[in-house]
Amino acid sequence: MIKTLASRTWAFFKSFQLTIVLLALLMLLVVFCTLAQVELGTAGAVNAYMRSFFVWHQFSFLPFPIPTFPGGGLVGLMLTLNLIAKTLDIQRTWTKAGMWLVHAGLVILFAGEFVAGLMQVDTNLSIEVGQTVNYVQSYKNMELAVIDTTDPTWDEVYSVPDTLLAKGGAIAIPGTPITLNVKRYFPNSELSNLPPGAQPSLATAGIGPGVSVVERPTVTNDNEMNTGSVFVEPVAGGRSYGIWLASMAIGAPQSFTHEGRTYALSMRLRRQYLPYSFTLKQFRHDVYPGTDIPKNFSSLVQVVNPSQKESREVLIYMNQPLRYEGKTFYQASFGKNDTLSVLSVVENPGWLLPYVSCVLVSLGLLVHFAIVLRRSLKRRQDKKEG
Amino acid sequence: MFPRHSRSFVAKASLLAGTGLLALAVGCGRDQVSHFRVPKEAVADHPDHPGHEEHAQGMPPATGDMPAPPRPTGQGSLKWSLPKGWSEVPGEGMRFATFKSPVPGKNETTVVVLPGPAGGELANVNRWRGQIGLGPIDETTLAAARVVVKSKAGDLNVYDFTSQGQAKSRMVAGLISTPDGNTWFLKLTGDAGPVAKAKPDFMRILESLRLD
Repeated sequence: MIKTLASRTWAFFKSFQLTIVLLALLMLLVVFCTLAQVELGTAGAVNAYMRSFFVWHQFSFLPFPIPTFPGGGLVGLMLTLNLIAKTLDIQRTWTKAGMWLVHAGLVILFAGEFVAGLMQVDTNLSIEVGQTVNYVQSYKNMELAVIDTTDPTWDEVYSVPDTLLAKGGAIAIPGTPITLNVKRYFPNSELSNLPPGAQPSLATAGIGPGVSVVERPTVTNDNEMNTGSVFVEPVAGGRSYGIWLASMAIGAPQSFTHEGRTYALSMRLRRQYLPYSFTLKQFRHDVYPGTDIPKNFSSLVQVVNPSQKESREVLIYMNQPLRYEGKTFYQASFGKNDTLSVLSVVENPGWLLPYVSCVLVSLGLLVHFAIVLRRSLKRRQDKKEG
Repeated sequence: MFPRHSRSFVAKASLLAGTGLLALAVGCGRDQVSHFRVPKEAVADHPDHPGHEEHAQGMPPATGDMPAPPRPTGQGSLKWSLPKGWSEVPGEGMRFATFKSPVPGKNETTVVVLPGPAGGELANVNRWRGQIGLGPIDETTLAAARVVVKSKAGDLNVYDFTSQGQAKSRMVAGLISTPDGNTWFLKLTGDAGPVAKAKPDFMRILESLRLD
């Protein structure tokens, strides 16, 4: 009975019909995902359709969303299992060596996409001519930065990610005596003045008491940004420093002092500091003659890495990214009369896997072709002789 | 028929599952407070986030460098007179008001009001300097850079900074505290050339300030 079930499962996973169904589902997902980009934006659509196990839909008559279609994660996982099962089913003989290589290459390709889906981090680095920047920042994710600004030369930056703020409760800031009590977090909000007679703000310190915060639905579109806001109460040494409003919409400096140390609170796009820095020496924006159509963008940057005792110039231009310390810096955008360059920064530990896959698949096809050719020639020779 | 090499299949499947779990563990690690020790930033607020109106498409819009104006009503509200050719756009989103000058080129005047000292004069001036790529200054330099403009609403502290880059940005900004405890910020920003042309009119606006 168990043996039958196991062999049936095995037969199901290695079946060619399954491959066809999965490929058809994948094609449909690509179509749906492309159409959804209009509403959700690129990242939103990819997350909803490709990097999820199910596509969820919120029907108006139901209080919760329900899965309506298999997502790219599930289809990809099934395809991988299908491929592995098929690969193991191929005879282990020299005549099938090419097929083995092709299948192994495809498995690696799928594995690469899984690694990218789970571990790839997309950020950007925007830098002006003459400016030096030592951090990359997220496109969408935010952080509440608690910055100890006491030292005249160094800042101690403690970054509380928005995901942690969303959980609420008390957040201890390691290395400081501060604990932040999250009173309320808004993933997206709109700030305005506090109208007369309105309910008083939750905030008791900083500029917050005069500001009214209204929650807004979150947005995923490429051109829209969530304005995250949070009410937090810093407590240190048993003393409360009041409730502060930190928001993406507040640029004004807000800080408090505890035992001689000054801490600034700032809600901003999540930053990742780098052990090296980039200085933009020159930005070029070439257009096709007589038009505004961009022909080429290039950024000449000085990369300074004290730990490697390295300082060198690098030219980053279209289709010619810089791969450095596990990150890839692409020329992505520009602004401010061509004095600001925006580099898209991608960190994907599995970036090499698609290349390995391509090599294996090409090699496998060549080997298989050689074997088939040899067999065919031999057959023809035998026929002639016979 | 179960394949003869089921052992290697199990090994491969475990490897796959192991990789997945490891990746998930790495992913979960992002949900923690992290600490960085970084050199003090010359640019306090990033001058421009990618995706500002004038930037290329496909980037999120600008945020961060606009202070929030809780809009005061009634007593304590500032009034002004605009020179010929200037127009006022009512406050939108985070701004109390925006002035458009007749000077061609990139220049804009914004009015923002914040409750209380809003972080203090030095911190705000350093934030403005940061917005055009200049490093922070101390109290002594602040006092030297300050120009006092007299108006019916009281004295304004005015600062004028120009960036050092290839395309020079300039900012003329004044701040004044009103009796209701709010601080008003009036800021003329843009490319150095147009700002220089619009500055005399901007100074006249500052001089015209009066309380409601």
